[in-house]
Amino acid sequence: MIGIGSFIALSLRARLVRVLGLIAFGAVFLVAAATTRFVTGGGHGHVELDRLFQLGGSTLVSALLLIGWLAGRFPIIAVLVLMSGVFSADRAAGHARLYAVRPRSMLLLYGARALVLMLLAFALSAIIMPAFDLLLLGRWPGTGLLAMIGAQVVVYGSLTALLSTIGRGDAWTALFVGIVGIIWDALRRADFFQQSVHVVRDAVSVVLPPQGALMRVETAFASFEPVPWDAMLYIATWATLAFIVAAVVLSRREL
Amino acid sequence: MIELENAGKRFGRRGAGVEAVRDITLEVPRSAIWAVVGPNGAGKSTLLSLILGFTRPTSGRVSIAGDRPRDWLRDHGAGYLPERFGLPGSWTVRDALRMFARLAGRGNVDADTAIERLGLAASADRQVHTLSRGTLQRVGIAQALLTPHELIVLDEPTEGLDPIWRVRLRDMVRDLGAESRTVLIASHDLAEVERVAHRVVVLDRGSVRDVIDAHEATAATRYRIVLAAPFDRMHEPFPDPETTGPAEYVVTVGNHVDLNQRIAALIELGGLIASVEPLRHDLEQRVRDALDRP
Repeated sequence: MIGIGSFIALSLRARLVRVLGLIAFGAVFLVAAATTRFVTGGGHGHVELDRLFQLGGSTLVSALLLIGWLAGRFPIIAVLVLMSGVFSADRAAGHARLYAVRPRSMLLLYGARALVLMLLAFALSAIIMPAFDLLLLGRWPGTGLLAMIGAQVVVYGSLTALLSTIGRGDAWTALFVGIVGIIWDALRRADFFQQSVHVVRDAVSVVLPPQGALMRVETAFASFEPVPWDAMLYIATWATLAFIVAAVVLSRREL
Repeated sequence: MIELENAGKRFGRRGAGVEAVRDITLEVPRSAIWAVVGPNGAGKSTLLSLILGFTRPTSGRVSIAGDRPRDWLRDHGAGYLPERFGLPGSWTVRDALRMFARLAGRGNVDADTAIERLGLAASADRQVHTLSRGTLQRVGIAQALLTPHELIVLDEPTEGLDPIWRVRLRDMVRDLGAESRTVLIASHDLAEVERVAHRVVVLDRGSVRDVIDAHEATAATRYRIVLAAPFDRMHEPFPDPETTGPAEYVVTVGNHVDLNQRIAALIELGGLIASVEPLRHDLEQRVRDALDRP
């Protein structure tokens, strides 16, 4: 493991601006939540939507709901920002060749980098999101939130890592594929594909990000229900397979 | 140590693609310094990429000590300077070199030694984005040479270096040869190549045009000898001198000892020498001949 620590430390230094940007971005949510709480909270210990409506009408309520929705996507944003170019940027700049000639496994180097960046995305989200909920709702949101953060980070982290071994624009492509997955999942739940060949429909559902499972984890959190561990297991399996494919591509990829 | 058997590399689809190198067969022995020369687009960097396993041959075979290049590199490592060396701008020179040393299983001492050796002490704590082109090139050379790898590959190493550092780099490469390391250099700079390489591979449009023994090419050196006055016995020490002026001759000798013996004989006969100038264009001429060949 000698040398990998230095590699990770310098990888983080190269992403310092992104980390600071994410912290600033997260701070905007916290400031918005604190301000809303300050102007509406009073003695109830949480944001009063009626009071918010009285102050700013439906515009202010909608704005708060939008901020809340966006805050719920913070782990996805964080992991996409941090993981963007996790391998592809090095390949494009020629840095990957400098690592390839060291007597170290490229899989180990880039695997460690991806893992640390995903952990960092998780840590930032695990600070900002509970703090946001604490300010708005006045209570600890529970372990369901950590499960939701973990699920989002693992799905989009593994997807970005896989796309990064294939080509450039990995984070944007991951976002696009994620949106396609959301649309596909919605259509599937609406029985839109009843007439289609089941094998093809199921294959596409497996290949696309597991939005159905993610949705179940998010819904369980929002409804104060226990974490759906079968959905979490499906997410973990999908992410593991994505990492395995990424490892195979990386080991065979021309640099 | 390095073997290429009919190795070729095509980019893009067959028919519409570009054949960067084709049908290259070479065997680079251990402890040799080989240079690859040729015009822009000749395929020099592609050839080095094939040797280091960055790209796979689309035809033929490439191996290092019998292994696939990537497998060999993972086990042994190599020193490598790319044609356009760069690092993330926020890294400092010292931290980058220490990381590369640790990745090669070495300690900070090796990195600090490389910093001193390449004259980077004043820049060691500066961020990469603040470095001049020449300093960055020296950082690239430092990371390539900081660990005692058996194989060193340098792509255009003199690019951006000032004359003093060109001379120092030449000495470093000679030292590598003396340490029995195998060195491959791709360069446009024939004068530098001639001074350090044992063999020179002339590449043009993806094909090897010639493999020249650099010592052989420079050993039979020609000299221009100018005498203080015309001398009719010039042909005695130097049979068949080319007369290029009233008291000016171009002679060919076998080596330096031969040259000195013949000059001594000339002086003995009463010839008064005004100047002796080596005409060191043999390698250049041979490279030109190789490139001009149809």
